[in-house]
Amino acid sequence: MYVEMKHINKTFDGFQASDDVGFGIEKGQLAALLGPSGSGKTTILRMIAGLDMPDSGDILINGIRVNDLPGSKRGIGFVFQNYALFRYMTVADNIAFGLQVKKKPKAEIKERVEELLELISMEGLGKRYPHQLSGGQRQRVAFARALAPNPQLLLLDEPFAAIDAKVRRELRTWLRDMIERVGITSIFVTHDQEEAMEVANTVIITNHGRVEQIGTPEEICFHPQTEFVEEFIDAKYFEAWKNAT
Amino acid sequence: MSKKKQRGYSQDVVGDGINSIQKVMEPPKGRSNRGVKYFLIGVSVLFLFIMLVLPLVVVVTNALRDGWDAYTEAVFDEYTVHALQLTLFATVAAVAVNTVFGVFAAVLLSKFYFPGRQVLATLIDIPFSISPVIAGLVFILTFGNIGWMGDFLYQYDIKIVFAVPGVVLATIFVTFPFVFRELFPVLNAQGKDEEEAAALMGAGAFTIFRRITFPHIRWTLLYGVVLCTARAMGEFGAVSVISGHLRGKTNTLPLHVEILYNEFNTTAAFAVSSILVLLAVVILIVRNLVEWKKK
Amino acid sequence: MRKKILLGIGVMAAIMLAGCGKGSGSGDGALELLNVSYDPTREFYAEYNEMFEEYWKGKGGEELKITQSHGGSGSQARSVIEGNEGDVVTLALAHDITAIERSGLIEGGWIDEFEGSSAPYTSTIVFLVRKGNEKGIEDWDDLVKDGVEVITPNPKTSGGACWNFLAAWAYEQQQNGNDEAATKEFMKKLFQNVLVLDSGARGSTNTFVENKQGDVLIAWENEAYLSMQEYPGEYEMVTPSVSILAQPSVAVVDKNAKKHGTEEAAAAYLEYLYSEEAQRLAGEHYYRPSDEGVLQEFSSQFDLDMNLVTIDDFGGWDEAYETYFEDGAIFDEIYAE
Repeated sequence: MYVEMKHINKTFDGFQASDDVGFGIEKGQLAALLGPSGSGKTTILRMIAGLDMPDSGDILINGIRVNDLPGSKRGIGFVFQNYALFRYMTVADNIAFGLQVKKKPKAEIKERVEELLELISMEGLGKRYPHQLSGGQRQRVAFARALAPNPQLLLLDEPFAAIDAKVRRELRTWLRDMIERVGITSIFVTHDQEEAMEVANTVIITNHGRVEQIGTPEEICFHPQTEFVEEFIDAKYFEAWKNAT
Repeated sequence: MSKKKQRGYSQDVVGDGINSIQKVMEPPKGRSNRGVKYFLIGVSVLFLFIMLVLPLVVVVTNALRDGWDAYTEAVFDEYTVHALQLTLFATVAAVAVNTVFGVFAAVLLSKFYFPGRQVLATLIDIPFSISPVIAGLVFILTFGNIGWMGDFLYQYDIKIVFAVPGVVLATIFVTFPFVFRELFPVLNAQGKDEEEAAALMGAGAFTIFRRITFPHIRWTLLYGVVLCTARAMGEFGAVSVISGHLRGKTNTLPLHVEILYNEFNTTAAFAVSSILVLLAVVILIVRNLVEWKKK
Repeated sequence: MRKKILLGIGVMAAIMLAGCGKGSGSGDGALELLNVSYDPTREFYAEYNEMFEEYWKGKGGEELKITQSHGGSGSQARSVIEGNEGDVVTLALAHDITAIERSGLIEGGWIDEFEGSSAPYTSTIVFLVRKGNEKGIEDWDDLVKDGVEVITPNPKTSGGACWNFLAAWAYEQQQNGNDEAATKEFMKKLFQNVLVLDSGARGSTNTFVENKQGDVLIAWENEAYLSMQEYPGEYEMVTPSVSILAQPSVAVVDKNAKKHGTEEAAAAYLEYLYSEEAQRLAGEHYYRPSDEGVLQEFSSQFDLDMNLVTIDDFGGWDEAYETYFEDGAIFDEIYAE
């Protein structure tokens, strides 16, 4: 297992956000944390990233227990729900930021930024500012920025929530292709079943702070292990996964 | 959707700004509409003229009433020069202290959550609600001979009240909240996402501040500094109570103006006032220049 | 842009440091003397200080730098008590200096340290009216008439105002044969006619002369003369039938002078006020010299036959202050209306 959560508990002000959460993800997998609002999926993501601390339990990345490591030292790339692009920096500077912090040589940074701009099909737009981009473009820049420092794990918090429906479809496919191409282990949070089925190859169902089931989309759809999963999942979305693979 | 080229918030703007709101509220009716518009503009201009332009004109004409020589004599008099130095010194000190403090406090209170956060924010506003005269009195009661630190200070010959440190302290106090008040709402509205993203990528506190927080507050900070400067230069009440009016030592420009006026030297009083007016104009010009260059 | 800001700060810092070095420092080892004085003496001490600095140097003393502070006598006394480290005080009435004595800064017996109860010059209380004296003001009882607007400072903060009050009181007591109740009524009516109550004598003068408010100013004699000098032909002085000998007192603030090492210079500074040159200077500034001989030189300037009561007629300052000006005393009773 590349990423592991063991007996994780987290309470916010009396509200139990995570209740004995445990799961594992293999290297190179694209996992979706799927569940209704308030089921604890974002909490899990943030704890892996180091933005929140679990009350008890272990988090392991690549075999190393990272509970006491600050987020910046865990080798994580994070794409925020509203992208959190640095609005006073150009696209190129945004992408370069992680490398600049690591004090990489200028030439290396420049090359990497070019490489990523090409990857996200935004060559030549390096000098633009975030407010000059469309929603879809911003998302791609956020993606590139997270990838730039070569993280070992990519985390995405509801990456398509702020996109309108039509563009969302295209972006989903694009994101899945990109992640496969780069080959990076990724976890993303969503409440959209179709999205989870279409993009991910591993799905983790959350409910009331607990993990209900973890498995491939096929397993989730046709072999639900709990009542909740059976009611929650609409098998029609399985078609989406099938078509995608 | 039209995208406006803005310096600040990255929001897509539908329509052409305020005019669309206007059009919805009042379909253009032609002449009567225009009449109201001109009337309102006229009232504003008249008000500005009476409250701002006229007094300024009065200051300048009265300052030069007795001729240019009398003017230069008053302005370059040694007491005036010293008052100017003291005013500038107190102003720079107040601006420096309050800017550093204001930035720290605003960042702290908007980005971090801790018990007592709201209380601290309210406490910072105290100098606003206290009359400046009371502020001066408070210092006297603390640092004066009869204050609880009085004997200690007298023994070690540390002069705070009725000396320059007192003047600077009083000036810092009355301008305390200015920079903070300008920055806090802006930082509060900004949220923490960008800073979180940067922290996650390994940026240190200073880097985060320099590259992400500061560019956001740059113009607000400048405005806060301008307000702070203007207020510090013009401060009278608190400084008057605490200064002791020692000529050539603890008189700021506003205090000096009062003294001249009290000596039947109205022309000189206006002449020195014109220095204050000039300083105010300089600040405004500097601010506009910086903004213009940014474009 | 950052460089420009730094440059600007650097320039400002340079100005400040240059100023600091010159202004607030003791400057070339000169001995500093602080004279905390009352409101109207500005012009007098400006000249006197120059005179004394020269005299002192001539006698082989060190370089002197005398700083002045002016304000309402009561306020100035309070500021000395609160930490304004004056080496000498030259205030409007002995009572204010007594207050400083009580706080421990001045040693007892100060009033006899210099001649004439430590009052090197005296003055009295007169009326200043506008040219033509439209309202026909001749004496105190004209001030209580309807429609007459009076300007006088506040006895709580101004020494001059205390003298004003006592002069008016003395007049009415003489008129009605010491009927205190009737006198209180009189004073009440007087203060009802007061338009503006400034904190110091100079403030009142300004209100009357610069702001052109009121019909009559109850003022120090020297203030009245000064106003007429500054604005020739615009004002007239009216001498009331009864007035009071106002004795502004001076004293060395012993504790401060000891601390600053200025005892000798401070004592000499006050002593020199009694010298012929200084007495003449006082007369030129419209203060009545305490030296009889010099006073005669100004017999054409001052009305030497005025009917003057003194503070002793009121039992001395301690008793007078307690009776009339303490919190809850007669002035508060009258003014509370």
